[in-house]
Amino acid sequence: MLKLSTEMLKQISDHAKSDFPDECCGIILNDGEQDFLRQCTNIQNQLHLEDPSVYPRDARTAYQIDPKELLGICKESEAKSRPIKAFYHSHPNHHAYFSEKDKADATMWDEPLYPDASYIVIPVYGGNSEEQILGNIRVYTWDLNIGDYLESEIESSDG
Amino acid sequence: MSVIVRIPTPLRKLTQNKPEVEVSGKNIELLIDNLETNYPGIKERIYDEANNIRRFVNIYLNDEDIRFLEGKSTAVNDGDEVSIIPAIAGGILNSSQLGK
Repeated sequence: MLKLSTEMLKQISDHAKSDFPDECCGIILNDGEQDFLRQCTNIQNQLHLEDPSVYPRDARTAYQIDPKELLGICKESEAKSRPIKAFYHSHPNHHAYFSEKDKADATMWDEPLYPDASYIVIPVYGGNSEEQILGNIRVYTWDLNIGDYLESEIESSDG
Repeated sequence: MSVIVRIPTPLRKLTQNKPEVEVSGKNIELLIDNLETNYPGIKERIYDEANNIRRFVNIYLNDEDIRFLEGKSTAVNDGDEVSIIPAIAGGILNSSQLGK
C-alpha cells in the first residue's frame, strides 16, 4: 500500500503529460511526515544519440534519471533523513505495467536496488495535437518473501 | 591519499552498513582495489567481466562523472569525495522484444 495525496498524484500526472511523448521520471522522498517531489531529467535521448548500439531506445520507450540529479537527491535523502519513498516514470501510449526491463533495471547484483521504495508507473495517451489522457496509475513494490516486484495499491488522500 | 567514498544502499551490506568509508588510493582504480581489500566482493559489483566499470554504475568524483574525466585513471586528492551511484532506469518493452 502506497499512500499519496491527490495533489502529489496530480503533480506526477502533470509531469507525465508535460514530458509526453517522452517518458518522464522522478523521485518522491518522505521524512516520516511529508512527501517531497523531485522531478528528474530523463537522459535517455542523450544516451541514445551518443551510442545507439548500447542504447537502442530513445526516451519514448525508456528512461534513465540524470545521475547527477540522482546523486544530489541521494545526498538530500541522507542529509535530511528523507528516505526514498517511490520512483515514478511514465509509459507514453502504453498501459501501466512493470516491464521485464523495469524489473531488471530495478534490481542489480540480483537484488533490489532500493527494496523499500515503490515504483509508480503512469500510463499517458495522446497524439500530437490533442490533450493527453491518463490511464490507471499502478505501483509495484518488492515482495521479500517472493523475491519479486508485485503490484500494490495506491491509497490517495486529500491530506 | 585518503578520500571518502559514498556507498549506495544496495552495497552497504558489504561495508557493515556504513554509508561512507574512507579509502586510500591515487586514482579511482587503486581506490577500488583498496575498497576490495577492505570490503571483499565490492569490486565485482562495480566492474564487468572485462574489468570496465559497469554501464549502470556511475562513479562521481565530487560533482563530476569520471566517464567525462579520465575514467578509472582519474586522479584523486586528499579531501575528495567519490560517490558510487547505480543508475535508476527502465522502459516500456520487455526484454523478449529487445532482440537480446
